[in-house]
Amino acid sequence: MKKKTFNIAELICAVISLAVFFGIWHLGTRGELGKLMPGPLPVIEKFLQTLFGGKIGSSTLIVHVAYSLARVMIGYFIGAAVGIVLGLSMGWSPLIEAIFAPLFRIIRPIPPIAWIPISIIWIGLGEDAKIFLIFLASFCYVTQNAWSGAKNVNPEYMNAARMLGAGKSRILFTVVLPASIPPIFAGLQVALSSCWATVLAAEMVRSSEGLGWIIIAGMNNNDMNQIMTGILAIGLVGMMLSTIFRKVEARLCRWNRSEN
Amino acid sequence: MEAKAGNERQVKVQVNHLTKKFGDLLVLDDISFDVEKGDLLCVVGPTGCGKTTFLNSLTKIYDITSGEILLDSHPVDPKKDHIAYIFQGNSTMPWLTVEQNVSFGLDIKHVPQEKKRELVDKYLEIVGLTKYRKYYPKQLSASMLQRVSIARAFATEPELLLMDEPYGQLDIELRFKLEDELIRLWEMTGTTVIFITHNIEEAVYLGEHIMVLTNKPTTVKQTLQNDLPRPRDIAAPEFVRLREEVTELIKWW
Repeated sequence: MKKKTFNIAELICAVISLAVFFGIWHLGTRGELGKLMPGPLPVIEKFLQTLFGGKIGSSTLIVHVAYSLARVMIGYFIGAAVGIVLGLSMGWSPLIEAIFAPLFRIIRPIPPIAWIPISIIWIGLGEDAKIFLIFLASFCYVTQNAWSGAKNVNPEYMNAARMLGAGKSRILFTVVLPASIPPIFAGLQVALSSCWATVLAAEMVRSSEGLGWIIIAGMNNNDMNQIMTGILAIGLVGMMLSTIFRKVEARLCRWNRSEN
Repeated sequence: MEAKAGNERQVKVQVNHLTKKFGDLLVLDDISFDVEKGDLLCVVGPTGCGKTTFLNSLTKIYDITSGEILLDSHPVDPKKDHIAYIFQGNSTMPWLTVEQNVSFGLDIKHVPQEKKRELVDKYLEIVGLTKYRKYYPKQLSASMLQRVSIARAFATEPELLLMDEPYGQLDIELRFKLEDELIRLWEMTGTTVIFITHNIEEAVYLGEHIMVLTNKPTTVKQTLQNDLPRPRDIAAPEFVRLREEVTELIKWW
């Protein structure tokens, strides 16, 4: 019952905050500022109009979203898989850590967008280059968290398993891996935001579809309505991804929830 | 405790010239002793004398510098021997439920499903956690967590159970309760137990033998036999006398 009351209160707060935001936006763009930026109503109208029916460029808005999402998901999952394996291996084996840690420490601080020129030269302007950039955005965050997660497992868990007769590989899979899940999830969440930002940057450089292209094409055509529609779509998709992610995390890490 | 020729009881653990150094620091200095099968040996000593190092060396969590530790006359090997260890802190796996924690050691030892269920049910019942079997450690109190560790250790039916100040962080009421629970399980299973504690009263209450260690570099000062009848009364004159005797031995001031 308490939980339900809280949810209703949360919903009311969310509605009020959104209403205030759109109200300020609406009032603010009624005067001179309206010449530079459209109000919320034309943007929402364009958003709904182009979502499934009207086209922006060659596709509807939902198709542009699908292009961006597909790029993100491919790069994100490949980066996450490689990052989890490498990070756990580095946290588990001093030899693997000694080999890969210096390289990783150099690559990690480089923002994914700094790789854009190199990726174009190496891979070209097609899909592969975009996925490569997204891979980098995902890989670094996930590797870092999996590495520190595996390295900081409470030694008493490992000693307890060892005393009960567990060998090295058993300790890795039944102790180190599950103990590292919360930090890995934290890395996955940051990586997802980073991938979403990176795909937009990649699409702005060279693309004929996707949310990044909508914004850059809107800028080239001086179409503020289109730019704001693209921004609104980015925000909504980002929010949806984040919500889905939190649900998955809550399910897989329910043992780690503080309200337990 | 020492197994001499002619004794009927079988020697379970033999420690011969155990020495442990951390760099140049000598912590355990040529320690030798035997533990009989089915004994409940309490090890006491001054704070910082290396009691945990002693237990961790016994179990090969630390590599020993020299000497040997034999279990049933062969070098101890946690992978092959049935040893269980209850640590000072909480070592229950937070991602496993209570029943999964209790069956953790049984999974490692590939105990058949049917037998595993039977053992888990039995030990959850003994430690009074049956109705909490689906709970996660984060949902339990400190004493319940320690009971999960005890059930996990006993469920593997260990030949040797090592306990490192397992009740050190609990309040006195819970400590008494869990001490009685340990005695009940020990009497029921006949497991050999080595129990480290800094609490002299606890050592006298639990131990069949009490081994007193010296300050660093640690050696065995003396081992006392404790024949007090069970259940033991901590206010009984014999109990108080033995407690004072151990206190005298432990004094370094």
